[in-house]
Amino acid sequence: MASLIDRLPLRIPLPNRGAPIVPDRSVAGRTLMLLIAIMTFLSAVTLGGVVLVQKSAISWSAEVGREVTIQIRPVDGEVMESNLRTAVSLAEATPGVASARALSLEESEDLLEPWLGAGLDLSAIEIPRLVAVELSDPVDADIPSLERDLQAIKGASLDTHAAWRQQLNTMAGTIVLSGLLVLALIAVATVLAIIFATRGTMASNREIVDVLHFIGASNGFIAGEFQGRFLAIGLRGGVIGGVAAILFFLLVGTAVGSMVPEAASAQVGIFFGQFVLGLDGIIGIALVVIVIAGLTAITSRMTVRRFLSQTS
Amino acid sequence: MIEFSDVGLRYGNGPEILRDLTFKIEPGTFYFLTGPSGAGKTSLLRLLLLSLKPTRGRVTMFGEDVSHLTQDRLLQMRRHIGIVFQEFRLLDHLTTYENVALPLRVLGQAESEYRGNVTELLDWVGLGERMDALPSLLSGGEKQRAAIARAVIARPKVLLADEPTGNVDPDLSSRLVHLFAELNRTLGMTIILATHELPLLDRFSYPRMVLNKGELEIHG
Repeated sequence: MASLIDRLPLRIPLPNRGAPIVPDRSVAGRTLMLLIAIMTFLSAVTLGGVVLVQKSAISWSAEVGREVTIQIRPVDGEVMESNLRTAVSLAEATPGVASARALSLEESEDLLEPWLGAGLDLSAIEIPRLVAVELSDPVDADIPSLERDLQAIKGASLDTHAAWRQQLNTMAGTIVLSGLLVLALIAVATVLAIIFATRGTMASNREIVDVLHFIGASNGFIAGEFQGRFLAIGLRGGVIGGVAAILFFLLVGTAVGSMVPEAASAQVGIFFGQFVLGLDGIIGIALVVIVIAGLTAITSRMTVRRFLSQTS
Repeated sequence: MIEFSDVGLRYGNGPEILRDLTFKIEPGTFYFLTGPSGAGKTSLLRLLLLSLKPTRGRVTMFGEDVSHLTQDRLLQMRRHIGIVFQEFRLLDHLTTYENVALPLRVLGQAESEYRGNVTELLDWVGLGERMDALPSLLSGGEKQRAAIARAVIARPKVLLADEPTGNVDPDLSSRLVHLFAELNRTLGMTIILATHELPLLDRFSYPRMVLNKGELEIHG
């Protein structure tokens, strides 16, 4: 890593330049670079988390929305098996429904097992039965019509999972908003740190600034001399933070794959998405690096210009 | 070229450092500015350098009233004024050559354009062999000659020098003033050289601006 860092430019090379007017060592570079690296890492990981939650929420919502469930409670005088068949027929006749299937008694018992425990004989008591209805097109499916038709079956009700989806979307939205807020706070903290570092650098280079003023340098020229230096620091810090974030995602992805059994890993994948950094993830991290480097350059330039306008 | 009319200067609410200065300096002239320490020599030079504005009166430079100048115009005017300091004020991390070339870099010239001029000037001030040396390796006299070269490389119309001989021995002081005289004679540069070394002044016949307790008299 050290050799890679050392290969990064200390300043942005511009055409027609002689020796640097602002000496490299006079800028509090290493500390600022480390700080920018940390901020970039935090931004990239937060952005990754936000994208992961949002993608998972969209996927969950789409999965859940593609299915509705008919529940038939036991009612005295009604024959459950007959009601199940009627419910399946009504569902299959509804526009937008791909298939309908009554869950067997064993499947229903399996569903209750987490609450009632294994090994119980449920044949003596009547339990509610379910019909899983898969929709071919969740938008065009005529759910109100199915709801009306099911009124003919005593004890039948339709669950579209709307409340669950609503709660899921609210939770995902809250996490995404919190993540964006964290990103905004990181940006503000970065800007403040750059302002302090730039002011310190300007104060310690006051002699150079004065000499440049005396020989007729404009504020724009002086600001440009400092800006190139800060842009390079921003880029170096950004690249280090970005590479660290990529390594973090690779490490977490590998750890999840090796620590969790394959079947459980698949379930984790369904619920939380995959900890895999795709091309879009790498592009996202590259954008974070560019934004942070740009933020460093713009903030330092504005701080330098303000400093110069106050002192000249 | 430079005209002061009833100029006064004070810092904040303090007493007037300079009072009722009225004088005119024609192009191509050479003046010594002298007076005891604390008489206001540096303040007057800062007014001439346009880094201060008078609190009263009128300063006209190159035909323009400086109190009404925009920031851009002020910058353009400042480029017609060179300055040499007692403490040299060379940038320690740049070589002699790079220090002298700095004003031309600031003007946006490429090195290929200015290299010949800088080398020639360094030869002229006797630093041709020292152009790659850092200021820390130069003697006091060499540093001051480098500072003078930096001040004149962009051919200013006016050259100000604030106690340029303050950090060198008497023999070298005299040689430095001869260098200023040569610049005045060969390039027609207007020179105002501030010094409190009276023996040095006596060796030259240039007119003297004498500041005492903020008031100015011109002799010669």
